[in-house]
Amino acid sequence: MAELSVINAQIFYDRTVEAIRDVSLTVAPGEIVCLLGANGAGKSTLLKAISGIMGPERGLLTKGSLNFGGVSLAGMASEQIVRAGISQVPEGRRLFVDLTVEENILMGGFTLPAAERGQRLAEIYQIFPDLVPHRTRVAGYLSGGQQQMVAIGRALMARPKLLMLDEPSLGLAPKIVATIFETIAVLRKAEGLSILLVEQNARIALEVSDKGYVLERGRVVFDGDARTLLDSPEIQEFYLGMDRSDDRKSFRDLKHYRRRKRWLS
Amino acid sequence: MSYFLNLVFAGLAVGALYGLLAMGYAIIFKVSRVVNFAQGEIMMLIAYMAYSVALRTDGSALLVVLAVLVSSVAVGFLIERFVVRPMLGQPVFSLVMMTIALAILIRSVAALIWGNYPYRFPGAETVQPFVIAGVYIQPLQMVLLAVYGAICVAVWAFLRFNIVGIAMRATASDATVSMLMGVSVTRLYRTAWVVSALIAGIAGILFANINHIGPDMAHIGIRAFPATILGGLDSVIGSAVAGLIIGVVESLTGGYVAATYKEIAGFVVILFVLMIRPYGLFGQRNIERV
Repeated sequence: MAELSVINAQIFYDRTVEAIRDVSLTVAPGEIVCLLGANGAGKSTLLKAISGIMGPERGLLTKGSLNFGGVSLAGMASEQIVRAGISQVPEGRRLFVDLTVEENILMGGFTLPAAERGQRLAEIYQIFPDLVPHRTRVAGYLSGGQQQMVAIGRALMARPKLLMLDEPSLGLAPKIVATIFETIAVLRKAEGLSILLVEQNARIALEVSDKGYVLERGRVVFDGDARTLLDSPEIQEFYLGMDRSDDRKSFRDLKHYRRRKRWLS
Repeated sequence: MSYFLNLVFAGLAVGALYGLLAMGYAIIFKVSRVVNFAQGEIMMLIAYMAYSVALRTDGSALLVVLAVLVSSVAVGFLIERFVVRPMLGQPVFSLVMMTIALAILIRSVAALIWGNYPYRFPGAETVQPFVIAGVYIQPLQMVLLAVYGAICVAVWAFLRFNIVGIAMRATASDATVSMLMGVSVTRLYRTAWVVSALIAGIAGILFANINHIGPDMAHIGIRAFPATILGGLDSVIGSAVAGLIIGVVESLTGGYVAATYKEIAGFVVILFVLMIRPYGLFGQRNIERV
């Protein structure tokens, strides 16, 4: 089984802006790992780097390595990465808005042999039966929740081993977010997937995850298993919004600790 | 009445040609947002290449068709490899400028090799036109219209049912996500350039047989451009249909107003259409959910 490992990755945009510095993380087979952090922390950049689509934004992996199942992803074209078994649900769903639902899902299976595509499409419709009545509708007119299902179904078409989801909760009602995360948990079992989840909604993400990493300004400032993160006072205060005003801490202490630890290791 | 019908038919025959070229513009624009200003020149080049083959052989139809197919694929392939690919990642506008340079280059090289004078295509016989309801029809014009129809249906089906065709529409909608699906955008560009050259080549050989072959063929590219704008730059089938409209409008203007106004008639039409529908008759409106 394939494991994703990112080792000391450093990513620059336009050779000037450092988006990611010394980030290391692993996603073991069958694991759900979530990546938390504020806007601009570098979460999406990391996913783009793994999918090999930094070209359009002139991003470059300048140090470190990205490996999947022992093979280096750096320098691989995006279509080879899809073939290697990594699919991504991009931020904001990004459906092909003027294609129909079925065409959108079929596009996910672009790398499959033609004979397998129809069968896989039927499997996707089994996972998301709600999409069946909408299959000939233009995707841009679906509701946000339905669009998210199409986006996930589209990514699943390629029979990935690792599914990366970039903020699946973005712009959706809490009830729909809950359904989406249930689906994610079910999919891990049913499809034997590893999942790398980027989220702003820390609580719901940590609840389905096994492990979590917190990114801030391109660095991992905190990591551990999901339970520990949920219980940690820093996470509760800064990401879950629980007020502990009696003993206010500065996040700087935390990072300082983290930095020292890295020098030692 | 028969004067009118003759004008309409002549317009349709020219319009089918515009339509074919306009499809070529639209296919390339759809996947890469590039307007290929060398479309007419590519058509001329392929027709000239087929002409050379016909001169050196017995000029049988089969050989000419084969020559058109081979040279279109070769031309499309080479342009993609040596003009388009080095420009990847550069602003789209630079590539548009490159196609203008390419147009001038092809025109000059063709003039060097084949000269500046029009020729009759070898093997193109003068057949008596037949008359239906007072309309004079050349058999080859009927062939042109049939080929036009067949290509429209083929391209429509390709874009609708073939996974590569769907990928072209997907790339038009969102190129980055299309890459995420495992589409090689480079390979898709190559397909677009080859298909567009192929359609241009077929249009070119038909024009050469109906009329003549000469350097003025390159101007048809510019005359077909309004059709693409009218149909909506990203709508392949729309461009094809708009070609017929432009052809008929030109022909009617030439017949009822003055022959000299013929060439600008198409541009006047797009001026008015674009005021009402800025995205063209069949172009894709942006879907926006509020």
